[in-house]
Amino acid sequence: MKKRKENKEKLYLSDKPPLTLFGKIGIFLTYVVLFAWVYAIVWPLFQMFVSAFNGKQQQYIMANSNFEFSIRHFQYLFTETLYLTWVKNTLIIAGTTALLTLIVVSFTGYAYSRYRFKGRNASLMAIMLIQTIPTFAGITAYFTMHSIVSSIIPQFSRQMMLILIYTGGAIASNTFILKGYIDSVSTELDDAAKIDGCSNFNVYRLIIMPIARPMLTIIALWSFIGPFMDYLLAKVLLTSPQSYTLAAGLYTLVTDFRTMNQPAFAAGGLLTAVPIVILFIALQKQLVSGLTSGSVKG
Amino acid sequence: MKVELKNIGKKYEGREDFTLRNINLDIDDKEFCVILGPSGCGKTTLLRMIAGLNSITEGDLLFDGRRVNTVPPKDRDIAMVFQSYALYPHMTVYDNMAFSLSMRKERKKIIDERVRAAAKLLQIEDYLYSKPADISGGQRQRVALGRAIVRNPKVFLMDEPLSNLDAKLREHMRVELVRIHKQLGTTSIYVTHDQTEAMTMATKIVLLDKGKIQQVGKPDDFYNKPSNIFVAKFIGSPTMNIIDGIYKEGKFISKNETIILTPSKEDRIALKGYENKNISIGIRPERFESGGEFGDTFTATIEVVEMLGKEKILHARLSDGSDLVISTPGHYVYNEGEVHKFGFDINAIHFFDTETTMRIN
Repeated sequence: MKKRKENKEKLYLSDKPPLTLFGKIGIFLTYVVLFAWVYAIVWPLFQMFVSAFNGKQQQYIMANSNFEFSIRHFQYLFTETLYLTWVKNTLIIAGTTALLTLIVVSFTGYAYSRYRFKGRNASLMAIMLIQTIPTFAGITAYFTMHSIVSSIIPQFSRQMMLILIYTGGAIASNTFILKGYIDSVSTELDDAAKIDGCSNFNVYRLIIMPIARPMLTIIALWSFIGPFMDYLLAKVLLTSPQSYTLAAGLYTLVTDFRTMNQPAFAAGGLLTAVPIVILFIALQKQLVSGLTSGSVKG
Repeated sequence: MKVELKNIGKKYEGREDFTLRNINLDIDDKEFCVILGPSGCGKTTLLRMIAGLNSITEGDLLFDGRRVNTVPPKDRDIAMVFQSYALYPHMTVYDNMAFSLSMRKERKKIIDERVRAAAKLLQIEDYLYSKPADISGGQRQRVALGRAIVRNPKVFLMDEPLSNLDAKLREHMRVELVRIHKQLGTTSIYVTHDQTEAMTMATKIVLLDKGKIQQVGKPDDFYNKPSNIFVAKFIGSPTMNIIDGIYKEGKFISKNETIILTPSKEDRIALKGYENKNISIGIRPERFESGGEFGDTFTATIEVVEMLGKEKILHARLSDGSDLVISTPGHYVYNEGEVHKFGFDINAIHFFDTETTMRIN
């Protein structure tokens, strides 16, 4: 019995050929690179985390080993700054952006995938090429557009302009992604649904949308995260601290000497991750792909 | 329901030529019509036009005398089974089958009754609440059939429904499909490239090639009276032997004079106008006479013997290098390399005009 066990341990079970000396060195080097990479990513995050809770840190973050656990910086954030207003602004802007993007991309992605119409390829190409121009390049146009629209509709705020800019950018890139995803869904499903009595809109709503849900979830998530990350447009377009988004607001904590508080910035950054992490966990189930398997022969 | 196609033609957007043209076809009520043809012949296009999934460029499509060219698919009272089954992956088997009825706002109770009845008929009651991904290919196929059955359609359309099944299951489902067809009493239109399916299931076969109907008729006609060389070669396995030659002084003489054949009396009457003209004869592999003691004979060298059990397929070579396929009963002894004499069953020779490829006798 014992002998048998020994034999089992010696069995080579991998499907790949055994490693040569060069192979082993290669793997070692690969791991070195990977660990260096991980270090480069994790170390700053770790520093941010430590500084946010370090009561010994003052206005400027100093690299030293003094540590005292405290939530002083968080308190500062909530009482001395407009942090909660920024959170509210960002959530509104991000939520609206995600919703608008989802609705429009649903239609454009489906239409580009399923319909043949004049200018289909040309417009797809145009969308792709326009992507190469950075969004910020249109800043003067945004200002002009905003002043024109707000002269007609006074309620049209800078924040709304920002939502439209974010949505526009997200629509362009995500149309491609969704089109590609829907392309991979057999058109026989559409045909079957049409025979079963669906209108074109119902084919999308009842059949295609549930199948494309993992991709739609990712698209919604991306366009939701976008406003959290973008600093430049928010900073330029929004004029008062009351209307700032998180990125723009937090930035005042590290650049403006009147409000300078670097540990609070770290604390704010840490908290920013919370809604996104919650969203990821909540949508985890939707993100699991592979829903299409089994619909057609596979 | 009676389905009539009058001069139907289809041209796809951006194509030069018509994919299908001048298609005239009557499919009677309760008929099992098989549309057969090689790939790319337009058979699926034709089916999709009947379903309303593709538009009809020219001609009329009549259901029971009513023109339905522009009627949307859902109002044509049809059901279709797709090659890939096209089951909705996010719905259970039950919901898949109930979908069309719930779209029609049918009452819950009626939907339930119909779905269960169809599930019973197809023996899929046990996995009504599984997702399509969790059941086997054969079961998915049944669900696809079930989805069509619950609608109680007037016309049942099938687009190569068996092509994704393994050979044994396919054999079984062929019989089952015919049984279901009879039970439902609908008109069925079935598209396939497999001549065995067509021969075994159809009450009417329509053979398409290059966008044209080559022959319409019963399976028996197709085998015994193919109307041209294409039909003759398409139906039957192994393929019919076609020998080109000339008709001279009441005899068929092949190109290198390796085969000389005197047609039967009836055939000679039909061949009257073909003196000194190029004609081709067709003979099915099983219609050769081994031994060859009577009438015209020829000698051939056996090159390959395929043993199938109930029959042996001999691939023989004539002295001029041309090949013939001969089928003999399995217990006859033939070995590779042997030279044998063979004769013809003179009543089973098909004569074709070589130029037009049309049948003569």
